[in-house]
Amino acid sequence: MTEQRRKAVREAGEYKQMSVTINTMSDDFIRFTVDGLTPSTANALRRTLMDDVPKLAIDKVIFHHGQIRDSEGNVYDSSLPLFDEIVAHRLSLVPIVSDLSMNFRDNCSCKGEGCPLCTMTFSINKIGSGVVNSGDLQPVGKSDLVPADKEIPIVKLGPRQAILVTAEAILGTGKKHTKWQVTSGVSYKYHREFLVEKKKVKNWETYKNHCPDSVLSENAERIVFSDDNRCTFLSQLLDNPDVKVTEDDTKYVFQFETDGSLKAIDVLDYALKRLSQRLNLLLDSVVGD
Amino acid sequence: MVPGPRGRNLTGDYMIIPVRCFSCGKVISSSSVKFEEKMADIRKTGREPTPDEISREMESLGIHRYCCRRMILSHIDLIDEILPFS
Repeated sequence: MTEQRRKAVREAGEYKQMSVTINTMSDDFIRFTVDGLTPSTANALRRTLMDDVPKLAIDKVIFHHGQIRDSEGNVYDSSLPLFDEIVAHRLSLVPIVSDLSMNFRDNCSCKGEGCPLCTMTFSINKIGSGVVNSGDLQPVGKSDLVPADKEIPIVKLGPRQAILVTAEAILGTGKKHTKWQVTSGVSYKYHREFLVEKKKVKNWETYKNHCPDSVLSENAERIVFSDDNRCTFLSQLLDNPDVKVTEDDTKYVFQFETDGSLKAIDVLDYALKRLSQRLNLLLDSVVGD
Repeated sequence: MVPGPRGRNLTGDYMIIPVRCFSCGKVISSSSVKFEEKMADIRKTGREPTPDEISREMESLGIHRYCCRRMILSHIDLIDEILPFS
């Protein structure tokens, strides 16, 4: 589809410029407001955040079977209290700090064989007894791509037991498996305003004292609150018949947390770019040329 | 911890705490280890942890949703029971 046609389609609908404001942000949590969305686009953004942001996850685990010897010549057994499949599955769910400049294996120049551009290799070599943690995953190659959480118990080893595995991590998206899902608890709500007439609601000052950050505007007769940034005290206003509650279905408050493999702001940045790609993909396939 | 009837629990017959929450996908296993340590500390003083203490500990670990909380609260670790037989 030509750019001209695309522009015509945009102008035919009620196209509004989207704007994003960040309310709260830390490395693994973000709350932001998006203005100029339709309900369907808001849900599309939610789904993009959940299942179309790539990250690294372990996809192949090779177990060493048989005897394992340490440097002093002691012999250990490679059998584990859990099945190899369960250990491999637990390893795959470990969040790994990801580098989005890596290639997807399908689109890589190695044509799916596996190379340093698309694959990250890890190894575990531990002798019992003790707990094998995700921190025991040693990166081979790029040393900055390590498990984001180092205290995840993978398996317990008894005396005379040892584990020796090689694992390959590749990029993927949550569409295929949860191990590639960066975000959890992705949710959104309408921007909501509570219009309080000071004459009718006598205790308006209590609300103001409890939630000073939630005050949008105030004059002699009325005060307006918003629950964009959570303040549980405001929920009492919902039951009060004298309070006028208005919801805006073009302004959404989103929040989500990440598992540590990517920073929340990077996830949002990627998802917003990806969303417009996805919407254009849809437009191209529906309208044709 | 004493296992329930036939050692079954809500989060299935998992020998070891699941890595992620079944419902939302948050990594809960590392928090679970810290949570159990805290609870063991309280039990050492000769009493059971109160609901308030449990709730406060969950909040401080960042486990806010009830889907993640049930993963930790209802889990019974059985790996030590099967360890001698592997």
